Order: sequence, then C-alpha cells, then structure tokens
Amino acid sequence: MSPPTRLAINGLRDRLPLDGPAIDRFIARWGCPIVEGERATFLYRGEVDEAWIRHRIVGLPDPLPLKRIGESDLWAVTTVLPEGSRVEYQVEIRKGDHYERFNDPLNQRLAHSPMGSSSVCAAVGYRVPDWVAFDPEARPGTLVEEVVRSRALRREQPVQIYLPARFNRAQRYPLLIVHDGTDYLQYAAMKTVLDNLIHRLDVDPLVVAFVPPRDRLREYPNHAPHARFVARELVPLLTDRLPLLDAPEARCLMGSSFGGIASLSTAVRYPGLFGSLVLQSASLVFTDIGFDHGGGPAFDPVVKFVNRYRAKPAAVVDRIHMSCGVYEPLITPNRSMVPVFRHTGMRVRYTEARDGHNWENWRDRLGDALAWVFPGPQKYVYE
Amino acid sequence: MPETILLGPQRFTTTVQPVVRSLGVPGRVAFTNAGWEEREADEGELNGLLDDRGVNLRLHHRMMDVLTKDDRVAAAALAFRDRQDELRAFYGIRLQAAVDAVNAVAHRTSLHGVGPVAVDAAIEAVRDVDRWYEAELAELYAATFARTPREQSELIGWHRGEINAVLDECAALVVAGGNVRTLLRTLRLFGVTPRPEQHVVAWSAGAMVLTDRVVLFHDHTPHGITAAEVHDTGLGRVPGVLVLPHARRRLRLEDHERMAVLARRFPEHRLVLLDDGAVVRVGSGTGDAASLPQGTRYLDATGHVAVEGAA
Repeated sequence: MSPPTRLAINGLRDRLPLDGPAIDRFIARWGCPIVEGERATFLYRGEVDEAWIRHRIVGLPDPLPLKRIGESDLWAVTTVLPEGSRVEYQVEIRKGDHYERFNDPLNQRLAHSPMGSSSVCAAVGYRVPDWVAFDPEARPGTLVEEVVRSRALRREQPVQIYLPARFNRAQRYPLLIVHDGTDYLQYAAMKTVLDNLIHRLDVDPLVVAFVPPRDRLREYPNHAPHARFVARELVPLLTDRLPLLDAPEARCLMGSSFGGIASLSTAVRYPGLFGSLVLQSASLVFTDIGFDHGGGPAFDPVVKFVNRYRAKPAAVVDRIHMSCGVYEPLITPNRSMVPVFRHTGMRVRYTEARDGHNWENWRDRLGDALAWVFPGPQKYVYE
Repeated sequence: MPETILLGPQRFTTTVQPVVRSLGVPGRVAFTNAGWEEREADEGELNGLLDDRGVNLRLHHRMMDVLTKDDRVAAAALAFRDRQDELRAFYGIRLQAAVDAVNAVAHRTSLHGVGPVAVDAAIEAVRDVDRWYEAELAELYAATFARTPREQSELIGWHRGEINAVLDECAALVVAGGNVRTLLRTLRLFGVTPRPEQHVVAWSAGAMVLTDRVVLFHDHTPHGITAAEVHDTGLGRVPGVLVLPHARRRLRLEDHERMAVLARRFPEHRLVLLDDGAVVRVGSGTGDAASLPQGTRYLDATGHVAVEGAA
C-alpha cells in the first residue's frame, strides 16, 4: 500500500503557529495514533522537555523521540507501520530531571498483561479475529477449579479445567494442557475463544487444563519436577477422572515464551507421551559458539536446554504448531528452530504475525493453532 | 408412485414446503432432524414448513435415552466409536498420502506418455485406500452387531415400535440436514429405513444418508484431511448417486483438476451438486443413477460442472 500524498501532521505544520483550539480540533478529527496507509503518527500533548514512544518493536529505534510541532505543546513522530501490524507502546516524558512513563492519554485502546497495560496501535489491515468476542450463540463451556496435590512440585497445584459445552461422559475428548493457564484465560480470552471455535466447528470439543506456575523462571525452563508433575501426575489424574482419549495424538502441550520452553522440555523428557505442541513465541534462545546469549541469567537454563536439543535433535511429538511475532527479538531463534524440528521428522506448521511478544498476539494465533492440532467436525455438518 | 426428492440446503432458499405439498399426501408427515443433535426439539419452524402436519421421530432424543439407560448398548456404542475413530485416523493418513501422490504425479512433466498412465494408477491407489476403509468398516459393523445385537435391547425394541408405528401411518418421510454422522448413527441404531411405498424428501445431510455411499468433503476447512473422505454406507434408497450439498460453498469447483480427481475416484457414481434451491426428483421408489432428471447439476469426469440434459 502506498503512503498518502500528504500526512495529516504535515498539513497541521503548514498552519503554524498553532493555538490550543486548533490542536484540539486536529486531535478530535484524527485521533491518535493517526494511521495513514503504512504510516503511523504518534502524538503527545503537554508542556514537557522531551517525549518518546517506548516499545519493543525489533527494527525501530527505542526510544522513538517525538518532536515538538512549532512552539506548541503538541509533539509528534511518524514511523512506518506495515499493513496488518499491531504494536503495543507507551509514552515517556521528561520534565527537567523527572522522567515518567505511561499509556498514551490520547488513545483509549489498551492491551493488558501480567506486567500491566500498554497502548495499542493497529495498522491498516489488522482486525481482531471475530472469534475473540463473546458470541451469545456459542454455548459456553465450564471452568472447574481443582487443586492437585503434587509430590513432584511438593505443593498444592491449582488447575482450572475447561469442559466444553454439552460435555458428555459417553464421549471421549482430547486434552490440551496450557502453561501460564491463568494468564491465557485472563489476557488471551481463552475461554471465550474456545467456546467460539468449538461452536463454529473449527475445533473439536476438548478438555483443557489451565496450569499456572508459582515460580515461573525456575519451573518453566527445563525443570524436572515440573515435567514430572505434568507427565506423571496431571495427565494420569485427568485421564482417570475424565473421559479422555487415551492416546498421544489426543494430548497437546501449549505455552508462550518461557511456557513454550516448558512445553518443549516436558515433551523432551517424556517423548511419545504427547502428540503435539503449540509453541507461541517460545523462548528458543541458543548460541552457536560460546554461551554469550545476551538474555540475562534467567535465560541460562533455557540456552543450555536449547543448545543441548540442537546438538541432538529428536522427534518427541508428531506435530508442532509454532508462531512468533516478527517484531519480537525471538523471531530469529524461532525461525532457526523450524528446520531443526522438521529434520527430525516432526510435522511443523509455522506462522508469523506482524505483532510483538504479547498476549493479544498469542490470542490471535489460537484459531489457527487449535484448529490445526484438533480440527473440528466441519466435515460432518451439512445443514 | 412414491417419489424420492433431494433438495439443496434449506437455510436461505426454502423449497421443502412446496415440494411436500406437491406430493399431495393426506395426513401426517414423518420427519427426522436428528442431525441437529441437541437442537432436535427446536422443530417449530420445520414443522411450520410441513403445514404443522409433521411428526418428529425424535431419533436423537431416543438415542440419548438408550445410551443413558442401557449400559450394554452404551458400552458397545462407545467401543464402536473409538474403533471407528481409530480406523478413520489411519484411513486419513493413507488417503492424504495417496491423494498427494496423485497431485505430484499429475504435475510431473511427461515427455514420453507415461504421465496419464501414472495418474490412472495413482487414482486407482486412492480407490484402493477407500476400499480398504470400507471393508474394515464393514467388518467393524459386523463384529459390533454380532457382539451386541440390537434385538437384545428391550429399550431399543420399545423405541423401534414407536418409530415404526409413526412410519406405518405416514405416506411421506422428511429427512433434514445436520451432522451426517449423528444422523446415520440414529438411523442405524433404530434400523430406520424409508418404506418402499413412502415418499421421501431430504436435504443436505439428509440427502447424503439416502445414498449408498456417504462421502465427507470440505475444501475450505481450515485444517485436517484436505481430500474428500468416504465415511460410511448410507440407506441405499438412491444408489449410484453421490450427493454433494453446499457444493459452491464447500468445494473448489473452479479447480477442475481437483474436481476431476474427486469424480474419477467414484466412477460408479454420479456426483450430484445440491446447492441452494436445488430440487432433484431422482425417480420413483429407488433412484437410478443413470437417469438423473433434466437440469440436475453434477460433476463430470473432467472436473467440470455439467447439467443433465443440457446440449
């Protein structure tokens, strides 16, 4: 898509000097950020010494400085934003020695995560999938709170279990185990997504175990007790209690970021137990020489695990659905791991999105991932 | 003379009302919408189209009643379903590989005339996979019925009595669409077969189960097996016809190569397209594949849509 001949902000610059009402009218008309073709103009209004856009988009400078428009209190910066992109950002300002960082006060659109909220800029062509919003036609499944006494983890482990609408003990269901389960429910609307995808026949009715971590940075990067809990305690318990299909093909592990590593490392420790993995922006960081990975101490066990796997890759499941945002630093390691996985004989479906390392990206990829892992019964229905 | 009439989907273009009226049958009309599964009881609109003369066989409700109350039948049904699911999984793997081979062979440059022979052989290999699945499924049915004869279930017998009483009374049977697997299960569980002297009107999944071979297809499904799959045998009221409802929405009709593979897989069958508004009167009593009525749209062996009787 070609950029418009003249950006709105440049039209405003032609009208210098600007008074307050003129700026008010401009913002009221264009909103913020102003998306024009493949350009996005971010605005900030206030009497400050400096202002920046802060983001985690690989390829754009961070911080991205805004420039004052004439002598006014309006600040702006225009950047490229390819079609279909969705980025999260905040505004940072400096007044003398005082720095402050917050969501864009001119933009009501927010995304939420365990780390707080961020402002959202959606480019031309980005649409929230229609299966994300509550659909009154979709019969809701139920979430059951459970506490599992885990010998492996030496604690009571809470688990939320999703049972699909019309759950019937005379049927058998596949099982999906989700790392960072509470966050997937809270920040990726996963219950609504499951209700909708099952209702639309895109995904087979399934049982989902949402498992939250306690000490995520310790338990998720290749941690034997965690893997033992999932493989030797949770799966047998659920298989015993619920009408599950008792076959690897009907069992899937899923996670994002470190949760992706938890999924993969559990499958590596228990090869053949699970038929598939869904890895979303998995932290597949590795080094080809030395150990200088640049990820900080939290990534040490990750890199050790991924390096070891790369040295002796093995098929541990039948299929892997991988996705990653092109604006996140993990895009290169994810791309690099696709051929490694494929060479083992595992089937890999890999997709990229013009998005970052965030929950809405992972939410938007659920439709493709779940429909690929557990295809729904569309072929049976001829209304 | 009794008629068998296959209709296109009824959601947007409703033809069932004038078609049933055209039969001129007095009294009540039996119908089943068991393919709607748990929505079976939402029959008001459908019964309205039958001029409130419809009597629902309630096959889905009856099946759930049996599965809830008769442990032996429930266990047999679950075991059958598990085995069929496993069989379908292996069939899917073999089928996809065989269809992929057809596509690969078809796209290989042939300088010395081997190509067409190779394509024929590759399609025959697909037919072989279909035959293998059908044979295994037939054995599975035989073993299941031998182990758990339906006649031994008093509850099934009681339901069959009620169903047959309704069918004996009605001169016409209407079979709605929905989930073809569920619809077939219910028909099979209670041994429901249209009487030879009965008129039958059916659409979508309902039309599929009247044939002798039920084939699942969806070229736009997001994932899974992309080739059309043989699912089961039908009631055989319309032999030699393979029904493809929602063809425009579900098939890549413009991809003639793909459609040709589909047509050539089933050379003994006429592939009838049932889109919105379609009304296909396949003849008195049992249908005759060789003599489709004028105007019927079907897929020919070259993968093109043809119209019966068109020059």
